[in-house]
Amino acid sequence: MAAIVAFILFGLGILVLVLRRDLVIKLLALGLVNAASILFLVSIGDRPGARAPIQGPGEMGILADPLPQALVLSAIVVNFAILALALVFVMILVERYHSTDSTRIEQEMAREIDEEETPCL
Amino acid sequence: MPLILLPLLRFVFAILSISFARARKPFTIVSHLVDAALLSQLVLTLGRGIPELITVGGTPAGIGISMIGDQIGLTFAVLAWVLSVAVSAYTWRDQLRPYFFLLLNLLIGACYALSFTTDLFNAYLLFELSTLVSFLLVGYQRRPRQIWASLHYLVLSSLGMSIFLLGIGVVYAHCGCLDLAVLKTMLRASPGEPWMLLAGSLLVAGIAVKAGVFIFSLWLPSAHARAMPAVSALLSGLVIKMGVVGLFRLADVFPIHLTLIVLGAITGILGIIYAFNTHDIKKLLAFHTLSQIGYMLIGFGAATEVARLGALSYVVAHGLFKSLLFLTIGEAAARAGGSHLNTLIENRQNIPRGTRIALFIGVLGIIGLPLLAGFDAKAILEDGLPTMALRLIVILVSVGTVASFAKLSPVLFSRSTCRTDRSRILAYAWLGGGIILFWPLSLLLVSPAISLHALSAPHIVEALAVIAVGGSLYLLIRKKRFQLPSEIFRLETSPLIILVGFFLVYALMALGQ
Repeated sequence: MAAIVAFILFGLGILVLVLRRDLVIKLLALGLVNAASILFLVSIGDRPGARAPIQGPGEMGILADPLPQALVLSAIVVNFAILALALVFVMILVERYHSTDSTRIEQEMAREIDEEETPCL
Repeated sequence: MPLILLPLLRFVFAILSISFARARKPFTIVSHLVDAALLSQLVLTLGRGIPELITVGGTPAGIGISMIGDQIGLTFAVLAWVLSVAVSAYTWRDQLRPYFFLLLNLLIGACYALSFTTDLFNAYLLFELSTLVSFLLVGYQRRPRQIWASLHYLVLSSLGMSIFLLGIGVVYAHCGCLDLAVLKTMLRASPGEPWMLLAGSLLVAGIAVKAGVFIFSLWLPSAHARAMPAVSALLSGLVIKMGVVGLFRLADVFPIHLTLIVLGAITGILGIIYAFNTHDIKKLLAFHTLSQIGYMLIGFGAATEVARLGALSYVVAHGLFKSLLFLTIGEAAARAGGSHLNTLIENRQNIPRGTRIALFIGVLGIIGLPLLAGFDAKAILEDGLPTMALRLIVILVSVGTVASFAKLSPVLFSRSTCRTDRSRILAYAWLGGGIILFWPLSLLLVSPAISLHALSAPHIVEALAVIAVGGSLYLLIRKKRFQLPSEIFRLETSPLIILVGFFLVYALMALGQ
């Protein structure tokens, strides 16, 4: 079930990434996409009734799989770093263009230096 | 041990380069010498027939993180070392902030580790590290266009890596391990499982975003064209090759040969069409990076031993001439006041002679002049292609390469009195020497019989004919400009195209099974 939810969230994230022009919302959508892939990893490591994977003396029973947990922790840290850095760059763009609208920023940049429109020899 | 030391020492040098910024130059020399010694040891071990293999922590295969110094890994690692030396020489006298060198060392370390790793999750982390570092390097000068290109790169790369992570999840759910060597044995025992299609297409689509495959890597033209020359050279010559090494390793495990051939053909042809139509020379080089990746994918997709060696040779050849081209065009653009063709032609007298000669060698290398790097590697690749159709695609892309580089001819033939900085000449000579001496050097990678066959008369005649046809094609259509869709490179459209690309990969894998 969680795996299906993860794939739905993933699709939703891409949809928002494509449809919304606001850079901050785009980054939130990217966060959703990343969170969906992490949820998928959590879902595959799920064992109902499992204990934490620390074996004490004389303890028996089902243990949770530690590998997906390690993967999830690493992925969360990486995605946090990516989102933080991307937001810093969005802030730099906003300071210059006073907008978070991606189309408007692109138009402003094209107006500043338009090398492509120079006729070729 | 060298497999671990190579990336680890680079990370140590990264910290040292920012902690003791004044001692940057001695640290740089020591780091290159240490890397050369470690790489030589690995090459000697491989020469004895058994590649160095290490599983970190001493745990059984499939649980611990494995690294292997095989032919593929070492080829990419040696390329990383060669390009890092060239970039160090190029930036020797530049007044750059210490954190540039921190990022540079981190990037080279990540590339070494990526070349050797056979663990999918380790690869994911290293891809993300290289993405973060490249993202900061592209936006290093903080110019708006660089920041925009950098952001585009980060968003698409992160999306690609999330797709890759889903693939890792599917693999782990069914096999319980992430080591490619163990996976290969498991998948051979039970081929044709339906989950394999989903896992393979997720992993391929995820890596393709990093590997310079046309419909996936739509961030590449702006990122490579907007970054500083030294950064563009590393991104184009090395960083996207890390995606390629990932695809090469996946081709050993999953049935993706047809997928690689089709993606290679699409990448090669579309890359050339866009390259021909652009007049910003840095962008032209970026589009050519895409088209040349096409050769490598076709070579590995063909699944013959000679084509595989040809693809590996082309990886090295492309790394050499594309880095040289980005470095020389970067310097030429700085002297001429812009990288647009018109600006370069108008101010060509400001381009130093040494830079122009190096640029000329780079152009001759990429268009495949006999005996130079591009020719040798392409000839080996063509020898290994099993069908005429694949050879025709390679020849078609080669003709397009010549036609699009012909527009640089006025820049190549002009007079100037300015001089190139000595450290830059060293970087150009290092890469240019590799392009000229590629044939004897390629004997380290391929057997003398295959290498000699590449120098046969039919190949030389074919290469000269390709140059003649490409030159004529340029003269015929040079004044025409075609309206090509530029919307696909926008931040709004590219995620959707990546999604479509994923379904294409899935369909191709289903077809190829």
